[in-house]
Amino acid sequence: MPPAAIWMDGLIQSCIYMTMAFGMVLVFSILGILNWAHGQFYMFGGIVVYYAVAAAGIPFPISLLISAVAVGVLGMLVEKLIIERVNVPIYGPLYVGVATISLIFFFEGAASMLFGMQDKGLSMVYPGVLDLGVFSVSYQKIGVVIFTVIVMVAMYIVLNLTKIGLAIRAVSQEPVAANLYGISVKRISVIVMGIGCAMAAMAGSIMAPIYPVNPFMGRIPMIMSLLAIVIGGIGSLTGAIVGGLILGFLNSVIAYKISYFSEVVLFILVILILLVRPQGLFGASLK
Amino acid sequence: MLELKNIWVYYDKNPAVRDLSLTVNKGDFVTILGANGAGKSTTLNAICGVVKVKKGKGEIFFKGKKINGLRPPKIAAMGIIQVPEGRKLWPLLTVQENLKLGAYLQKDRQKMKQNMEKVLTLFPDLKDKLHAKGRMLSGGQQQMAAIARGLMADPEVLLFDEPSLGLSPLLRQHLAEIIKEISQHGTTIVLVEQNARLGLMLASYGYVIENGELKLQGKTSDLLKDENVKKAYLGV
Ligand SMILES: Nc1ncnc2c1ncn2[C@@H]1O[C@H](COP(=O)(O)OP(=O)(O)OP(=O)(O)O)[C@@H](O)[C@H]1O
Ligand SMILES: [Mg+2]
Repeated sequence: MPPAAIWMDGLIQSCIYMTMAFGMVLVFSILGILNWAHGQFYMFGGIVVYYAVAAAGIPFPISLLISAVAVGVLGMLVEKLIIERVNVPIYGPLYVGVATISLIFFFEGAASMLFGMQDKGLSMVYPGVLDLGVFSVSYQKIGVVIFTVIVMVAMYIVLNLTKIGLAIRAVSQEPVAANLYGISVKRISVIVMGIGCAMAAMAGSIMAPIYPVNPFMGRIPMIMSLLAIVIGGIGSLTGAIVGGLILGFLNSVIAYKISYFSEVVLFILVILILLVRPQGLFGASLK
Repeated sequence: MLELKNIWVYYDKNPAVRDLSLTVNKGDFVTILGANGAGKSTTLNAICGVVKVKKGKGEIFFKGKKINGLRPPKIAAMGIIQVPEGRKLWPLLTVQENLKLGAYLQKDRQKMKQNMEKVLTLFPDLKDKLHAKGRMLSGGQQQMAAIARGLMADPEVLLFDEPSLGLSPLLRQHLAEIIKEISQHGTTIVLVEQNARLGLMLASYGYVIENGELKLQGKTSDLLKDENVKKAYLGV
């Protein structure tokens, strides 16, 4: 058995991948496209929080909110100005793919120019550790887990119990009927892209005190969340959560067991899972 | 109140509706008849903005305002609501959620609740199904729920696209009575039907389209007596 710290590290990674994957699947279920620059929204989340806390001295929780809103708005702009224009029938997903992959370079380049390429570290916002005898956990990490649970519960409530949440699900299930009853598919697309990117930003922000912040920090979480989505079943929100959970632990434990080639082993495992269940754990049962 | 003036609708380069003109006055009950592929659904979708009227080839007016070119949610907000072909309920939402979203544009919660009660007295069968997902309903129940959702929107004009499709004769009869009742409450109705007899019995004015073109129009009492209509649509 790997030591408790490895499992804890896995859980932290799970939290990031879950939140990232959830946002990506939400966008997919409405717009029918993958936002390949999702990881860069995660990165902006980390950078915004870093500057808000380290430069402006704004308290961490408020900085986190600012970051989510700012990056969410950026996501909405990207939807309105780019995705909406290229998401045409038939070839739309391809064009959007090309456009958002270009955005990866644009955003990473922009971040490098504006903030520099070097790692920045935010000191622990909640220092101290919780000693449980067998092992100890930093309050910061406990904070990450609690925050992720809150975000997930909040998303559940929004999607199931609010008018806008029901409208979002209606659009994903039967967009024509939604339009006929006054629910603008266009407007919902912008809103959902905002929510999805805000979730990526929250993941990036909550990690800023734990992992280094730099313009390229979004790449690995993006790949991992993609794998999480594939394992969970493309289009399933539950799948995104479970897939994220699995990926986090897998990644952490494999890296502990075999430090070299750990990615190779990870990919082989993912392929094995898909051989058994090509549609992912939660099928393509959309919405 | 609703006026289509010489509209043309194309799918790619093929016209599905050609030079169609049609008038619906406030409180009217109008039916549109035609065979499969005649262009009935396309006409309703053109009114709702789901498909576009070809630029420069026709206009649609609602209460004197030009509405072709507007997006569907805008048109819905003006009071034109369609109960679409194939029901198109939101399959994974409950019946109650489907009904609530039917009233998406209704800002007045009190009014929404009143409408919900009204609709449930009209469709008492739905009361037991409020918490069932849309896709768990039988075909007939889905049709009831789809019409109920339409009524929740509190429309000025209600467009029905083949509501009787797939219903048993008994249920069809029940449906006919309900639609009649909706009309008697003052809602303007456009009913598209392949079941010509049903359409002609319910409506007061009818249009017959063939190949996207208007072939015949008139009072339904006259259409019922028309030899061509009898032969082609009533099977007499
Ligand atoms: N989405 C589409 N793309 C291309 N052609 C279409 C499309 N929808 C309809 N058509 C064509 O337009 C014509 C009219 O179709 P429409 O659906 O309006 O007929 P309809 O009168 O409603 O028929 P039905 O009674 O079978 O529902 C048909 O020839 C059909 O093939
Ligand atoms: Mg039709």
